[in-house]
Amino acid sequence: MALDIETLVDLYRDMWLIRAFEFGLEREFKKGNVPGMLHTGVGQEATQAALAAHLKATDCFFPDHRCHGINALAQEKHQGDGERIMAELFGRATGVCSGKGGSLHSANPRVGNFGDNAVEGSYMATVLGVALAWQMRKQPNVACCIIGDGTVGRGEFHESLNMAAIWKLPVLYACVNNGYAISMPVGKGHASADIVDLARGYGMPCVQVDGNEIELAYAEVARAVDSIRAGNGPYFLEFKTWRWQGLFSGEFRPAEEVRYWKEDRDPIRLARQKIGAQSSLQAADLDRIEAEVVQQIETWIDFAKNSPMPDPAKATADVYVGGEELR
Amino acid sequence: MSATTVRTRTFVQALNEALDISLARDPNVYLLGEDIAEMGGDFGVTRGLWAKYGAERVRDTPLSEAAIIGTAVGSAMVGLRPVAEIMFADFLGECYDQLVNNAAKMHYMFDGQFKASIVVRTACGGGFGGGPHHSQSVEGWFLNVPGMVIVAPATPADAKGLLLASIENDNPILFLEHKALYRLKGEVPEGHYTTPLRKAAIARPGKDVTVVATMKMVHEALAAASELEQEGIDVEVIDLRTIRPYDAETVLASVHKTGRAVVANEAPKLGGLAAELSATISEECFRALKAPVVRVAGLDAPIPFSLVLETYILPGKKQVVEGIRSVLRA
Repeated sequence: MALDIETLVDLYRDMWLIRAFEFGLEREFKKGNVPGMLHTGVGQEATQAALAAHLKATDCFFPDHRCHGINALAQEKHQGDGERIMAELFGRATGVCSGKGGSLHSANPRVGNFGDNAVEGSYMATVLGVALAWQMRKQPNVACCIIGDGTVGRGEFHESLNMAAIWKLPVLYACVNNGYAISMPVGKGHASADIVDLARGYGMPCVQVDGNEIELAYAEVARAVDSIRAGNGPYFLEFKTWRWQGLFSGEFRPAEEVRYWKEDRDPIRLARQKIGAQSSLQAADLDRIEAEVVQQIETWIDFAKNSPMPDPAKATADVYVGGEELR
Repeated sequence: MSATTVRTRTFVQALNEALDISLARDPNVYLLGEDIAEMGGDFGVTRGLWAKYGAERVRDTPLSEAAIIGTAVGSAMVGLRPVAEIMFADFLGECYDQLVNNAAKMHYMFDGQFKASIVVRTACGGGFGGGPHHSQSVEGWFLNVPGMVIVAPATPADAKGLLLASIENDNPILFLEHKALYRLKGEVPEGHYTTPLRKAAIARPGKDVTVVATMKMVHEALAAASELEQEGIDVEVIDLRTIRPYDAETVLASVHKTGRAVVANEAPKLGGLAAELSATISEECFRALKAPVVRVAGLDAPIPFSLVLETYILPGKKQVVEGIRSVLRA
């Protein structure tokens, strides 16, 4: 089932937006302009673009550790101000959480972004409640929870899948299996290197997808979302992919593995080949898209850099709803 | 509906009334927890509610404490008002992350975009041979967590009024129910009313010494006060009612008046509520104090099973009397 060329080009642009965002961010991080830690999603753009394409602003997603891309895409797509994700990562007052959240705690419910949680897997429990509320209210929304392969080690993984299954909750589990939990290879850290094998016992549809083929990822997300909206209960997708970022100390994976994924399996390169084969678009047209996106990201970085820092007096605001008096 | 009709009810019945009223008044309220539906909960607090409101709103869960709290928080993010039951407070370790890193921080870290308006009811406290994992006082585990609210009633009337106030509040609330109080009877107004959060009660006015206590220790302090009254010692007992954030104004005003303070808490002394109260009183009332603050607290050990051992660990009326005598001697 081939995608129409317009959709494919849109997804190509989305993937480039994610990559340009991460590259720009990494550059600024190295310059010392971005505080904290940085986990980038380069190499995993196809899964994020596919999810963002099918989730509506009235759905929700809990982003994973390498989530800047889908956060920015959702922010740009539904509200037209993706630069506020960038500003959040710079710790600025104009960020989506006014600088209180940062890379691992960016949220905006108006675009369906229900916030990451830096404790891997915590939100696997939270997603149940959103889904339960929608089920009780008979709203046909999808509560999506994006996790990494490392998250599978958490107890919440099992508590969540079990409860979603027994209550038939509208949860989409999107497991981005990039092969490593920091340094731990997936096959060493889990009883199976194929996460679907671990999920299957909970009795929901479990589908493994090539996470670097945008057409496949797009189609499988569509199928999952349709099934959930139809009231069929939870659905588990495992995207097999690979992250470009090594460890903070450098690259730790074999050179041939790195070459294979970056050269042969780059989701953007694969999409580019497909577009070239299926349409009259020339390399120059795709280069132009890339240049436009890179330019857009530079304006986001400028916006973030030129935004004011938060007022330090706000550091103690909003600890309690209604203040210390609990009104 | 009149709140002036007062009946005698147990602590458990008072809690049950609060849940019943909340379920009837607000369609967003629902209950979840282990064995709370048809069975009515381990201590009978939810008895009859499943039959009245159905399995959707009085919802049994598997033994998945993290998922229970996560479900509560997630549903609160989209406007529901869950009341979760964690059967024994000792099990909060299983969902500590959900409460501390998620519920307590959510409103703050997401810049006010979400409210974790949840109530987590749990049975705490010792004195009945429950052993190391069914007896602990856990307020200290959560005392150091900004964003968390800890409510701890001592009477049936407050149990009902504070639970209603907690369910209607927009913050994540850990609602502690001391097991020794469950069968306690007291006057409980009929119908809907709320007892204000973060407001201590003066359980007994007095002028010679202030005792600040929570839950079961309020009753131990009242018993100590009655005993000492015969000797002409006039003890003021403050029932803190909300432990975090707490009503320092009432506590400090009392100590400024009496010049002597005992703080009584069932948990171990080190790093607990007694330590916090003692430090704040010492900081704020130093010049008014006629004696150093005394902490009456549990001994620094897990709760043992055998009642002889447990009784040795936990503070009671005797220790409160000793504490009062010691601040009066100084």
